[in-house]
Amino acid sequence: MNKTKNALFSYSFIFPSALLTLVLGIYPIAWAFRYMFYDYKGYGAARFTGLDNFSRILKDTQFWDSVVNTFIYAGGKLLITIPLALLLAAILNRGLRGRQLLRGIFFMPTVISTAVMAVVFFTIFNSYNGILNQFLIKFNLSDTGVDWLGPKYAMLTVILVAAWGAVGNYMLLFLAGLQNIPEDVYEASSLDGAGRIQQFRYVTLPMLGPVMQMVIMLAIITALKGYESIMVLTEGGPVGKTEVMFLYLYKLFFPVGGGSAAVQVQEFGYGSAVAFVSALIVGMISLIYFYASRRMNQTD
Amino acid sequence: MMKRTLMTSVSLVLALGLAACGNGNNAAEGTGDAGTGGSGSGAKTKISYWTGDRHDAEFVKEQVAKFNETNTDGIEVELVVKGDDFDTALDLSFQTSDAPDVIRVKENTIQTFYKKGFLAPIDEFLTDELKTKFPAMPDLNEFEGKRYSLPNYGTTMRLVYNKDLFAKAGIEHPPTTLQELVDTAKKLTEAGKADGAYGFAQNFKSPGSAFARSSRVIAELSGFGGFGYDFKTARYDFSGFEPIINAFKQIKDDGSMLPGVESLDIDPLRAQFAEGKIGMYLSYSSEPGVYKNQFPAKIDWAAAPAPTIDGNVKGASGFLGGQWLGLSSKSENKEAAWKFMQFMYDDQVLTDYQEKGFGISMVPSVSSVAKTPDVSGIEGFLPNKYDGVWPVYPAVAPEGMKSDDAFFKYMLNGGDLKAIIADLNKRYNTALDSAIQNDGVKAEPDASFDPASLGGKFAK
Repeated sequence: MNKTKNALFSYSFIFPSALLTLVLGIYPIAWAFRYMFYDYKGYGAARFTGLDNFSRILKDTQFWDSVVNTFIYAGGKLLITIPLALLLAAILNRGLRGRQLLRGIFFMPTVISTAVMAVVFFTIFNSYNGILNQFLIKFNLSDTGVDWLGPKYAMLTVILVAAWGAVGNYMLLFLAGLQNIPEDVYEASSLDGAGRIQQFRYVTLPMLGPVMQMVIMLAIITALKGYESIMVLTEGGPVGKTEVMFLYLYKLFFPVGGGSAAVQVQEFGYGSAVAFVSALIVGMISLIYFYASRRMNQTD
Repeated sequence: MMKRTLMTSVSLVLALGLAACGNGNNAAEGTGDAGTGGSGSGAKTKISYWTGDRHDAEFVKEQVAKFNETNTDGIEVELVVKGDDFDTALDLSFQTSDAPDVIRVKENTIQTFYKKGFLAPIDEFLTDELKTKFPAMPDLNEFEGKRYSLPNYGTTMRLVYNKDLFAKAGIEHPPTTLQELVDTAKKLTEAGKADGAYGFAQNFKSPGSAFARSSRVIAELSGFGGFGYDFKTARYDFSGFEPIINAFKQIKDDGSMLPGVESLDIDPLRAQFAEGKIGMYLSYSSEPGVYKNQFPAKIDWAAAPAPTIDGNVKGASGFLGGQWLGLSSKSENKEAAWKFMQFMYDDQVLTDYQEKGFGISMVPSVSSVAKTPDVSGIEGFLPNKYDGVWPVYPAVAPEGMKSDDAFFKYMLNGGDLKAIIADLNKRYNTALDSAIQNDGVKAEPDASFDPASLGGKFAK
């Protein structure tokens, strides 16, 4: 009797979040699962097309270009973010003066809306009157400024902006991990004659393994799925140079631009298929990473 | 035990509360019977009007307040001004039975809203007088013989130019051909570069938006469909764009284009023009309002007809519009909603709309009496004999790169434009065939279609 009561009690707690997950999580996925086999433009009847959407994906060079761009973007973002976050965490973990304030400052980008952050960066990087170019011209470092959002540097710029937004978040997670390493391990190692660098290499890094594995995992998934700041900065341009997988996908569902009188056609069916393949790519990379990094989870 | 019961109750209340959220507006909608104004019942009939327009928001707000105060049928209109998410929000509202009663429809949304079943025909409310007063325009306010909206204002497209920079470069007239456009951009750059000013600019952050206001109007005036669709043959044929895109590329290659156009949005472009950094660009008749309110222009500027390919006008410069307010198919108070629409389509409201500079009237009885809008620079945008309403082209979703992206890519990287156009024609026509076969899209050839005959209806 008591057991049933307990179970009922537990279910009543789970119910609201389960309901939300069902409505906002499972239902849209099931919806997309169905429509990836259909041609559906948001009106009229959806037409069953079997695997047509998938054979279109195979031929869709724009999509595969966006996959390559995603890897460049995610790779670049990770290469900057992870070492920098770890370095900052290691520095701020020490008894540095004003470290609380610094932690707050570094974490701040995480709480700022991505779109607002991207708008601010747009005013810094834009080519015709951006703050950065005005600075470069004023101090004679460049005659005409650099086309930061042009074909040559746009990807670099969006990576830098993304890294700036992410570093504080991962720094905090590393910091939490660092604070869990017992002080006596450091004491023991220093008695054995280890210097600071050796301590970092042989104590900090191995003991940070499980946290590191999780942080990198999170960073990979977030970077592969990120597109919001790119949308504000370049809309994926110029000519697709910064078009990442999820931005391409977003535009299939909600076409942007076109101006007045250009009638936009939404591609729900094809978009669903692209969403599925994109999710598969992110899932596979996560799995590969998880397998390759399994040793990081072993602290002993 | 007491605590547990309390917690369980709280959970249940929360869950029920969440479930109830979806129907938040039903209470407001239940005040009138379907199809009646609910007059005399004492309770207000509440209807909502959704618009994505911000340029006239204050004016519309005043009119709504006036209607709410003066109508004797107990109708209260709630005005909802949405942002860029208007279309998405509307989609959602129809999914959640939370749809507005009156919807702002545009030339590029009314077809989709009609197909999605968002709109109700308004014929039952239209008197013969109204039917004559507001011209019917197939696919723009009329579908399968039924009317879904009435026109208010229209948008023209022009070449906007910096008169100060023209004077400095010693150029007397704005260009009328593509070659002149290229040459003028070059001369303007030579005259202005030392001060950071360039001859020409386009908002290529969104190539679709850039070409829809530039290559489109040049093509239309030269007799080609502005989005690559040939109404004579009912096929897509982008070959008319070849000289236009080549001219734009020449301007870029000459260094006469503002640096950084790849990431330039339309508002930053306008901000630069207002500062005198741009010699010319092509855009809509909304520009004068922008330079009056949003970015007060520091230069003397004007608007002129867009150039044509070779100086010969063989078509008409698109006069965009034909619709304004639409009645929601889901409205439970259609009669009340119509009364509000009728108020908004009143001669005085429409006349004020033009005179205050929110748009150029498309209603003959209004445009014949309304004064020129009170906005400097609008003169160049007023309809001339070359402005006309083009029929609506069948929109398709081709596989692969869209025409705008393909053209912009060519402008940046070069290549074989003829081959690019042949590829576009092939992909767009394949998509068109599929849309005709599967989506009920209609595309009938019209051998007698003469783009030059489209003009002359709004001004002689």
